[in-house]
Amino acid sequence: MKVKIKQWNGVASWLWVANDENCGICRMSFNGCCPDCKVPGDDCPLVWGQCSHCFHMHCILKWLNSQQVQQQCPMCRQEWKFKE
Amino acid sequence: DSTNTSQQRPSCSLPIMAEDIRQDKKANFSALTEHNNNGVTRTSGLASNKTGASKKLVIKNFKDRPKLAETYTEDTWLKLRDAVGAIQNSTSIKYNLEELYQVRMENKQECLTLSYCSPAVENLCSYKVSPTLYKQLRQLCEEHVQAQIHQFREYPSRASVLSFLKRMNRCWQDHCRQTIMIRSIFLFLDRTYVLQNSLLPSIWDTGLELFRTHIVSDGAVQKRTVDGILEQIERERNGETVDRSLLRSLLGMLSDLQVYKESFEERFLTDTNRLYAAEGQRLMQERDVPEYLHHVARRLEEENDRVISYLDQSTQKPLISNVEKQLLGEHMAAILQKGLSILLDGNRVTELALLYQLFSKVKGGLPTLLQHWRDYIKSFGGEIVGTPEKDKDMVQDLLDFKDKMDNVTQGCFNRNESFINAMKEAFEAFINKRPNKPAELIAKYVDSKLRAGNKEATEEELERILDKIMIIFRFIHGKDVFEAFYKKDLAKRLLVGKSASVDAEKSMLSKLKHECGAAFTSKLEGMFKDMELSKDVMIQFKQYTQNQSEPSQIELTVNILTMGYWPTYTPMEVHLPPEMVKLQEVFKLFYLGKHSGRKLQWQPTLGHAVLRTEFKEGKKELQVSLFQTLVLLMFNEAEEFSVEEIKSATGIEEGELRRTLQSLACGKARVLNKNPRGKDVEDGDRFNFNNEFRHKLFRIKINQIQMKETVEEQVSTTERVFQDRQYQIDAAVVRIMKMRKTLSHNLLVSELYNQLKFPVKPGDLKKRIESLIDRDYMERDKESPNQYHYVA
Repeated sequence: MKVKIKQWNGVASWLWVANDENCGICRMSFNGCCPDCKVPGDDCPLVWGQCSHCFHMHCILKWLNSQQVQQQCPMCRQEWKFKE
Repeated sequence: DSTNTSQQRPSCSLPIMAEDIRQDKKANFSALTEHNNNGVTRTSGLASNKTGASKKLVIKNFKDRPKLAETYTEDTWLKLRDAVGAIQNSTSIKYNLEELYQVRMENKQECLTLSYCSPAVENLCSYKVSPTLYKQLRQLCEEHVQAQIHQFREYPSRASVLSFLKRMNRCWQDHCRQTIMIRSIFLFLDRTYVLQNSLLPSIWDTGLELFRTHIVSDGAVQKRTVDGILEQIERERNGETVDRSLLRSLLGMLSDLQVYKESFEERFLTDTNRLYAAEGQRLMQERDVPEYLHHVARRLEEENDRVISYLDQSTQKPLISNVEKQLLGEHMAAILQKGLSILLDGNRVTELALLYQLFSKVKGGLPTLLQHWRDYIKSFGGEIVGTPEKDKDMVQDLLDFKDKMDNVTQGCFNRNESFINAMKEAFEAFINKRPNKPAELIAKYVDSKLRAGNKEATEEELERILDKIMIIFRFIHGKDVFEAFYKKDLAKRLLVGKSASVDAEKSMLSKLKHECGAAFTSKLEGMFKDMELSKDVMIQFKQYTQNQSEPSQIELTVNILTMGYWPTYTPMEVHLPPEMVKLQEVFKLFYLGKHSGRKLQWQPTLGHAVLRTEFKEGKKELQVSLFQTLVLLMFNEAEEFSVEEIKSATGIEEGELRRTLQSLACGKARVLNKNPRGKDVEDGDRFNFNNEFRHKLFRIKINQIQMKETVEEQVSTTERVFQDRQYQIDAAVVRIMKMRKTLSHNLLVSELYNQLKFPVKPGDLKKRIESLIDRDYMERDKESPNQYHYVA
């Protein structure tokens, strides 16, 4: 063998994997950030509920805080529980 | 008294005069007491009266007033007249001097002035003949002065100017000396009778008046004198040496006689004006500007010297302003048009300082200079920025130019605030004349300085260069263009490990943050953060692979990018050899295991590798891109491939592949042979592995050929910036409308210009507003179409 790889410096970008492309609350793309953040990435993460709906973490927290009685998923009205 | 003294020329200074008067009064008094002695019975003093025995003090009148001899007045006058005549004719006085003069030496050592005072005059004055005496004296003097005029009237007209002036000067000097002596004799008269009658001029003033009326006021004589003086001055201006003390004395005469202004100064100034107007015209044609400036400076110095040496002080202001006006004021525009660019081009610091200094004296000089200076910067800078052929030197040229101009303001323009501001203004104006390109090139320049292999600068020098760049950067309006290109280059530096120094990178980042705010650099900072996170991930990955059953031969490091921070890269699918695919999968599994909800997208364009290769000469390490790796790996399987074969095997995009092959077979380090040979890769070319490859180094870096790529990249980067700008405009419009609800077009546009940090044309704004209306974000007022309403 004449040529052998000794070191390999790869580059990869990461994206969120979500069923929908947009956050159901703020309608912004998941690969962008919620309206309160300036840049996407680790600082504006996504979270999934047990109903398998996905939102920007900031968006769903805001929603849940505004709910007085019951905490429901804004998409399917099931009780909201974070998916582990 | 003081007014009297100020007009008197030499001999007596004020304190001595005062002393004189006091003594005179004392003398007067004592004379009186002596005269009255017989009428007063003196007591032995009050102290002796203590005994209380009163003695009567009787004061009696004179019985008879003592009388002078009948002829005393006459005789004395005759004597005095002879004395005056002797003084005037410079002959000796035949009368007993002691009779005429009582010479008193001041006691004080420092006062060497002799004061003459004639007791004869004193006596005459005491007997109330002062008016007659004064008239007689005046008469006498007048006759003498009148007689003097003939020598000037009859002075041969062919005689030289100089001899005439000398004659005049001698006459004047004699007159002064004589008047002083006469005054000394008649001091008593001068101090009593004349002083008490404010209308009568003192003896000295009478002398001046007579000299003025009878000699200097004679039209022909005055003309000849002033002509002579002017001629002498002109000679001196032409470089000849003249008798300055003569001029000084004559001009002193004119001002003593109070005819300086009308007889001399006016004509002198007119002459000066004419001379320098002509000289200015002529020299502006003949000489180049630096020489001319030096000439003007020398002329001003000469004229100032002239004022000090022989002109009256009052002439200084009009004279200098005349010269400045004729030599500079009239030619300001011409000097600057003809000379400023030469001076600045040639960096002639001395002349520039001189120019500033001269112009600061002339009315309106500095504003004119300022204007031309601004124009110069704009046109010179416009040249640097506006010539596409010179783009590769643009930034360096700008830096040098800024340095030079700074130097001029510091060294020559006295750090004048308005010049510094004008310079900034001019820089801002010309740099933004050509949109986008300067910003792009500045970003590239910074890249070239921050990239590894730039060994020319130490840390401190680099820091200084970056500071200078920031000054230029400050002038740029479209900072987003800079950011886009800077980001692209920064990405390259970080991913390929080409960055020269982390400290320098961080320092540049903090400068940008300081200049443009945190929002500007947040993405750039994100990139640095990604790099650090990737490092942590790789440490964990190493531990993870060590625990695996079959560790790979390849040492893999991956940089994981957060999409939003980095420039957008077009995804590209390539065929990796199974070993690499496997390794990629291992990493993917590891990474996604740690971060749920994510997926990884590989960026083959950014990958690179170190290859161990065997040539006949020996083992080498090649530092290559991922594409180059893929091509080279193919030659493990066979000796020779065609372009088409390589393309289908690697899946690399056509253009990219051609460049890759070119870099391997036609560059500096040719590890492949191309058949047929040639610079460019054509269809059907065949490649084989170059076993004969030789190189003095063990580790060789083969650069990807970038030429074409840069052009594409440049276009796409610029396009992306423009797209971003459209979104920003949209966002700004909506933000403003949401707040104001209703707004006229003009107000909206002006608010937009306040908010937007990049240059936009009004037309573009209109388009965006149109598009927002179409998308129902806002609507036009039904009655006035220039009014917009926000649609909730």
